[in-house]
Amino acid sequence: MIFEGLMAICQPLTVLWIALGVAVGIIFGAIPGLTATMAIVMFLPVTYSMAASEGIAMLMALYIGGISGGLISAILLNIPGTPSSVATCFDGKPMANKGQAGRALGTGVVFSFLGTLIGIAILVVLAPALCAFALKFQAYEYCALALFSLSMVVALTGSDMPKGLISAVLGALLATVGLAPIDSRARFTFGIFQLNNGFALVVLLIGLFAISEVMSFAESVRKKQEYTVEQNVKMKGAGFSFVEFLAQIPNAIVSALIGVGIGILPGIGGGVSCMISYTVSKNTSRHRELYGTGIMDGVVASETANNATIGGAMIPLLSLGIPGDAATAMLLGGLMIHNVAPGPLIYEKNGAVVYAIFFSMLLAAVFMLLFMLWGMRFFVSVLKVPKNYLLPIVMVLCGIGAIGNANQVFDTYAMVGFGLMAYLMIKARIPTVPMILGFILGPTFEENLRRVSQLSSSDPFWNHPIFCVLILATVLVVIFSARANLRDAKREEELKNN
Amino acid sequence: MKNRDNYKMDIIPGVILALFSLFYMCQIPGIKIFKGLGSTPLNNHFVPWLWSGGLLFLSVWLIVRGILKYRRVKADGVENQGASLLSALADKREVILSFIALTLYVAFMNSVGFVITTTVYVFVQILLLTPTERWSRNIVPAAITALIAGCLLFYIFRSTLNVLLPVGLFGFGL
Repeated sequence: MIFEGLMAICQPLTVLWIALGVAVGIIFGAIPGLTATMAIVMFLPVTYSMAASEGIAMLMALYIGGISGGLISAILLNIPGTPSSVATCFDGKPMANKGQAGRALGTGVVFSFLGTLIGIAILVVLAPALCAFALKFQAYEYCALALFSLSMVVALTGSDMPKGLISAVLGALLATVGLAPIDSRARFTFGIFQLNNGFALVVLLIGLFAISEVMSFAESVRKKQEYTVEQNVKMKGAGFSFVEFLAQIPNAIVSALIGVGIGILPGIGGGVSCMISYTVSKNTSRHRELYGTGIMDGVVASETANNATIGGAMIPLLSLGIPGDAATAMLLGGLMIHNVAPGPLIYEKNGAVVYAIFFSMLLAAVFMLLFMLWGMRFFVSVLKVPKNYLLPIVMVLCGIGAIGNANQVFDTYAMVGFGLMAYLMIKARIPTVPMILGFILGPTFEENLRRVSQLSSSDPFWNHPIFCVLILATVLVVIFSARANLRDAKREEELKNN
Repeated sequence: MKNRDNYKMDIIPGVILALFSLFYMCQIPGIKIFKGLGSTPLNNHFVPWLWSGGLLFLSVWLIVRGILKYRRVKADGVENQGASLLSALADKREVILSFIALTLYVAFMNSVGFVITTTVYVFVQILLLTPTERWSRNIVPAAITALIAGCLLFYIFRSTLNVLLPVGLFGFGL
């Protein structure tokens, strides 16, 4: 299977698609407002007619390029190209202000590469182990796992817990549309046959992340947003010495481990991992007072962590079918379209595709390093691409993506509906990411809960230690997160009153 | 102003979501229950009740929180007169028009066809995303971009990648 996977990736056309995916991903990552998720949305219809390994390899390349490209605008404009690069601004822009833009970019690129490699290494080791462990899962365990993953919503909703929970519950409600699990009775279809299969994940994601982004841009049309792009970026090699590289290795390893750890947790993603690793790096450094003034350490911490998150987010996606963030949720949609069912049996049923994913990630990381070290001038110039021309075409591609999902125009109506809903949610300050978790985990929870209700008389829950541990973990996560959220909310309220 | 916004940000979504959850609850009794061999003790009504009940509870929580905030604002006497609904809508005119354009685009795509609707939509959307004072400079490039996008995307996806995009009025030989 390893050889099959390698062979699938070694095809010239696949290599070309990966290279194209990385380049487009970097461009999307670099332009503020366009994200890796949007790049994947846009190219999803392009992959419909490809072989599974070919199409998924391209989506992976877009993901890696998209996360990495964010550092360009973070360093040169002080605007993170993607949420994953927020912390890169803290030291990247001050470095650029000191005339070290090339050094900052080189540091970001090399440690993004290193972070991706560490993430892939951990993915390759952990995913099969988690799959082997998950093979022991039955209805009880899946039901508890879905509950545990949903409980993470409480942890990631920040100070406004009810709104985060509302988003997750809305996602779960939307997932009840269509045929019910187990007995296949139609629910909430209102006689519309296109709703019998329920809403497609891809269509929901397009509405949530692509349409709302275009509408956010539409809001700012009359506001003047002028920024000067530093065009004179000189890059000699990576911009730093080998000794400096070695000195950053411990910082990079800790940041990568944080990135992978955050990536594994459902629904959190690179935006949080770069902030946490930056804070950890700062708090454990001997020269913490220099953070924020333009030092390599800050860029290393942020960029290593956000790229390592990619590998981390792929672990639960491949082995349990639970996405780590919005981009991996999109990849889940891509896998489903190509008839690859993520879960404990993925190695047995689609082993070659899994290894193709690993090799494509490696190749994409190498392309990212080469493109960004030698093609930086080009990527800097794309920051000037007029978004008023680009976004309408992105919207059309999103529409094609929705149609191509099941070859029915009806899905575009749902896409617009979800877009409107996402825009109103953003206006009401209701986060949209928990909705994806609710949408994906809701059916898993329902199906297994109903199975458990059948089994409970003959097979009581105390025969399932994994179930008991997961339920206990869920209770602890909810209690501690709720306490932390309430404390944060109180602190915010006090600050406002003062 | 922030406090005023804050309580509205709780009450309005709370009311809308509470109404939605009630509507959803009303639909649940209409779902047919399977009672044959292999039926589960928890039927297909249980989880919809669970989620809609949860949504109703959270919506009421939001409403109560908003009312408490409103009372605090009133007690402090700092309530501001915000912009009227009409001026707020006018301020978001590009967003509203973009949604209308997008809705019309998908509504007419099947009957009129992908090429024509895409060309018109891309042209209109480019102009909507361009400040009005720059329209005169952008009309021709926008029209050319729209035409090329409509034809090229149709060719690539329909003919090359076999996505069943609607052909519509003229058939385009397909």
